[in-house]
Amino acid sequence: MNDTSNAPAIRANGVVFSYEEGTRALDGVDFLCGAGEFVAILASNGSGKTTLIKLLVALLKPERGTVEIDGRDLRSYPPKDLYQKVGLVLQNARDQLFAATVEEDVAFGPRNLGLHESEVQRRVSDSLRSVGAEGLGGRAIHHLSYGEQKRVSIAGVLAMRPSILILDEPTAGLDPAGEIDMLRLLYRLNRQQGITVVLATHSVDMLPLFADRIYVMKHGRVLQSGPPREVFADPEMLDRAKLRLPHIAHLLHEMKHRDGVPIDGLPLTVGEARRKLLDLIPPEIFYRNGAEGQA
Amino acid sequence: MFELFSDIFAGRDNLLRRIDARAKLAVAALAILLSLCSSRPPFPLLIAFSCLAATAAIRVPLSHALGRLLFPLLVSAFLLLLKLFMIGSTEIFTVHVHGVTLVAREEGLYQGIIIMARVAGAVSVMMLLSYVTAAHEVFLALRWMRAPEEIVDLAMLMYRHIFTLIEQAGEVAVAQRVRLGYAGLSRTLGSAGTLAGTVIIRSLEQSVRTHEAMIARCYDGRIPFAPAKAVQSKDRISALAAVLVVLILFWALEGGVV
Repeated sequence: MNDTSNAPAIRANGVVFSYEEGTRALDGVDFLCGAGEFVAILASNGSGKTTLIKLLVALLKPERGTVEIDGRDLRSYPPKDLYQKVGLVLQNARDQLFAATVEEDVAFGPRNLGLHESEVQRRVSDSLRSVGAEGLGGRAIHHLSYGEQKRVSIAGVLAMRPSILILDEPTAGLDPAGEIDMLRLLYRLNRQQGITVVLATHSVDMLPLFADRIYVMKHGRVLQSGPPREVFADPEMLDRAKLRLPHIAHLLHEMKHRDGVPIDGLPLTVGEARRKLLDLIPPEIFYRNGAEGQA
Repeated sequence: MFELFSDIFAGRDNLLRRIDARAKLAVAALAILLSLCSSRPPFPLLIAFSCLAATAAIRVPLSHALGRLLFPLLVSAFLLLLKLFMIGSTEIFTVHVHGVTLVAREEGLYQGIIIMARVAGAVSVMMLLSYVTAAHEVFLALRWMRAPEEIVDLAMLMYRHIFTLIEQAGEVAVAQRVRLGYAGLSRTLGSAGTLAGTVIIRSLEQSVRTHEAMIARCYDGRIPFAPAKAVQSKDRISALAAVLVVLILFWALEGGVV
């Protein structure tokens, strides 16, 4: 298990879970997420990430092992306390949004908490603003685009004012621009509002930009965990997990190992790769190209 | 199909749209009740024509309105045929079909026409209400009127998921169609059956996921609504005037003045 610099917001110890038909979905999973961290659970389909997420929000109960939120056993939380600490965003926004309008849906959680209507309305407008959906309040859910539905589903959870946000494949079904927008939104919530973010995904390309730590899972077990640089330094482990390096890292990994290009370390983002490649290209080439470009 | 269920017109601004949903719902409920209670066709037919005229006035395409009316009218037309050939004693005409003699009778025809008129009146009222009132306002109004919470909650969830299911059914139907699932009668029947089964299974799966998401937002078996605001006096007056007009028309057309 990795140490985190912050106090643990979520800690799962030796969690085992099997479904009724006998499938063992989780087999001794240890998971730790510090307060204020951005943690990704990276796994291919059927590896148990959704099951783990459901266990972290008490929608499923572990056969063995324990889950703690803020140092307290999950089983000792009354639902109203728990869901004001931990918010869950499902993979498919359609499953999450059930009210007729955006405002009604976002207000559902705060009203369940028995808050005064003025506070409910304040939370609705704050949450919609947080996800950049402030103009959507009166719209019917089925008139929203899929990206908008995703944002509104997050707003509905943010209205509970959780300190931990858990998301199941938040970028699934989004176009490339929508994917980066979604991760930027989550990063902003994490860095600016201090919300701990845990997301399950199998999309590897963006994670080095946003995640503080990554858990790689396969067949209900954690294969590896650590900062992105540490996790992506082991391409064979990623292969075993049916995952891959980010495309840019894969390209430079191939250049380094097949073509002998002397690249120091393994860049994980386009920015890092650009800097590494610029270091290798003689400066006169830039000057010549730059002069030609200007001419 | 999606267009037929679409509620885009309820978002358009017009005179009827601006009236409080509770006032509209009260008038609509009365008009539906009286249409269904009418013993002669003129009252429900007048209600139906008034609603259609109002629908045209708020610029809803006639094809859309007729599309919504079509299915209930077809069902009532079928009932009219049953009544025509099965009830009454005064013969109008006789039909011979494959050796079977069917006798159309005046009393049956009259009863059938009354049923059709009632259906047309009641459905037209519902249709107009749906064109000028957003669904969530109707649910809020129903809650305010102390309608059973379980029924209102269920109606709200059904309303939300109708669109999702139509979308999913559309996707499955396309997937079947591009693999010739609707080529020929037997394949069409098979595909349609599979489609219905798939939609039921998906709706069950979705209901489980939706329930989980609701629990994660502290759902305790009751969907909370915003507290209702007081009905404005202009809306009270509008509703009262409309109720009076409906009652007078009913009295005049049913009570034998006309």
